[in-house]
Amino acid sequence: MKSLKTKLALAAATAMLALGSSGIANAENPSWCGPKEASLALLDGYGGNSWRQVTTASGKQTASLCPSITKYEYADGQGDTQKSISDIKSMAAKGIDALVVFGDAGPAVLPAITSVFKAGKVIVPYRVDVGGKEGENYTKFIGASFVNDGENWGKWIKGILPNGGNLLFLSGPAGNSQGLDELKGLRNVLGPEYKFVNPEPFAVTNWDPALTQKVLTAEIAKNEKIDVIISDFGPSLVGALPLFNKQGKSIPALATSDGNSLACFWEEMKATNPDFKLFTVATGNDNVRLAVMHAVAAVTGGTPPAENIFQAPMYEDSVSGKPNPVTCRKDLPGAIYLSSELPDEDQAKAVGGQ
Amino acid sequence: MSNAAAIQPGLLQQMPLARSFVTVLSSTVVLLAVCFIFAPSSVSMGALSGSLPFAAIIAIVGLGQLLVVQQGGFDLSLPGAVSLAVVQATHYPQQDNALLLAAVLIAVCFALAAGILNGLLVSVFRLNAIIATIGVNALLYGGVFAVSGGTPSITTDLLATIAGGETLGLPNSVWFALLALGVVTFVLKKTVVGRRFEAVGANPLAARAAGLAVRRHQFMAYVYAQLLYCLAGVLIAGITREPTAFQGDSLLLPSVAVVVLGGTSLLGGRGFPVSTVIAAFFLNQLSQFALAVGVPYSAQTIIQALALGFGIGVYSFRWTVGQGKATEPKKVEEKP
Repeated sequence: MKSLKTKLALAAATAMLALGSSGIANAENPSWCGPKEASLALLDGYGGNSWRQVTTASGKQTASLCPSITKYEYADGQGDTQKSISDIKSMAAKGIDALVVFGDAGPAVLPAITSVFKAGKVIVPYRVDVGGKEGENYTKFIGASFVNDGENWGKWIKGILPNGGNLLFLSGPAGNSQGLDELKGLRNVLGPEYKFVNPEPFAVTNWDPALTQKVLTAEIAKNEKIDVIISDFGPSLVGALPLFNKQGKSIPALATSDGNSLACFWEEMKATNPDFKLFTVATGNDNVRLAVMHAVAAVTGGTPPAENIFQAPMYEDSVSGKPNPVTCRKDLPGAIYLSSELPDEDQAKAVGGQ
Repeated sequence: MSNAAAIQPGLLQQMPLARSFVTVLSSTVVLLAVCFIFAPSSVSMGALSGSLPFAAIIAIVGLGQLLVVQQGGFDLSLPGAVSLAVVQATHYPQQDNALLLAAVLIAVCFALAAGILNGLLVSVFRLNAIIATIGVNALLYGGVFAVSGGTPSITTDLLATIAGGETLGLPNSVWFALLALGVVTFVLKKTVVGRRFEAVGANPLAARAAGLAVRRHQFMAYVYAQLLYCLAGVLIAGITREPTAFQGDSLLLPSVAVVVLGGTSLLGGRGFPVSTVIAAFFLNQLSQFALAVGVPYSAQTIIQALALGFGIGVYSFRWTVGQGKATEPKKVEEKP
């Protein structure tokens, strides 16, 4: 799980060896951190949940590893495309040298990104596909392999439900590329004997817990039998899952992403819900680290990391206990992600829990 | 002739209540019938107990908006007010039941402050209600960020039990909504203060001439509204296990929609609390219907928009034909 951290340490070690006698100041810098001083900004399209908070803290911590970054700024688009666009432009206008952008609005923010790139800044969109081309619209795009997530879920579902069944797939805003890619991954693994009971391509929840609750209410009432729920933001389901019990059914198996509150919920409910099996992939907060490393490397003249795509590893499986059994840390806030390489206590601080 | 003249005002007073109530009730019955035929799952017990809490929330914020609309105003500070109550009720206690009461009391204080500010700006300084309340909304969102930093927090078990539990087969939030409806209806329709409040809304000039404290009633409308938003916010914090810091955003439009569907004129005047609450149920059931028929998200949105447009369209048509004359005196109050 902490593989990136190991790589980071290795990188730092390599840098130390390579730079050898080039001066004490550079001696501990990671290889992606060059000598040129620069400022960096992290721009979020929607910062209003704990996942984003942990991600933001991870980004900041990564940037702080490089002393050449003299200034670090953050802006939150609050789910408003117009604000996201003006955030991007105004950060560039303020003289920030490198921008790392979570382009939630997708291609809608591409013109702003392109104009900043054309103005000679380093700009690295990550995770959400904004369209465009590397070197033409932006410096580099650091994607995450959501198809890979979908395939991991699919394999697990095949394991617990070999003869097919009814699946309910929930994702965020309508048409978001993450949900579409995950569906592609699911379809790569699962045949037609697995039936998706949600409207095509996925049930829209906006990742909003209240809307998730409404959507799930309707789906449970409509479908006599749901064998597995697949969701790309597990913790937002916690408030909604007890609806199954209210309608006299067991909570079904769940393939999703990890979160402390979800793990604790599973601990609490497993005895009374025999069908409630849980499988998670790492929720991918560390995607931002790779994007920050690339941006810093480009702006300070360092060596960029070899990977361009973030692959979220599998994290918990309540059936096999591999790679990890479901782990609940009751002493820490529910809104943290044990799969993230940011230390648990720092996450607790980031989400304001302690 | 004298007989007819005596009956006419009586009819005019009775008709609007009957009309708004009958229209919204019959629309709801039609919708339920459509649900039974095309999406029976949306009216099953399980679906109703899951979705009624959200209808209750819309009903409560709708009642708040109703009071402001009755005074010819508009309260756009609703999203900030609800969100602030939500984060106050979740972030302050940090899952510690003992701190819940204090958290709710602080939320009520915020609501009073926001209501007083809105009231001062609109009724004393005579600012346009839309502009003043947008400003206060921004201020309230400042408070939301100060309290929460924009992140959600998990609710306390106690609040989840109070707001999310069930009593006598109905979700507790529905009982809260019915209680709010009872209080608003009783005060508006059966007390001196309430009758004066409606009179001021119907015609401020005439009310002033009759010696009523027009500004005070207009002022208080914003305070009452904030208290209702606060109630809704605290309930959301209990219904949703991990509410976001922007939970109020999606409530502004429904709050106005249910007031209009409930038959209250946006120019102010007589209010219809019962119809407003039925309209909240209607609106919520409509979205459950759209979800239950299982059409793509785009089509869900279109179904809701069409049904809403149709509802309001039929409604305003009946108003102009039947009641055009009754609302005529409103023009007088446009003068400063």
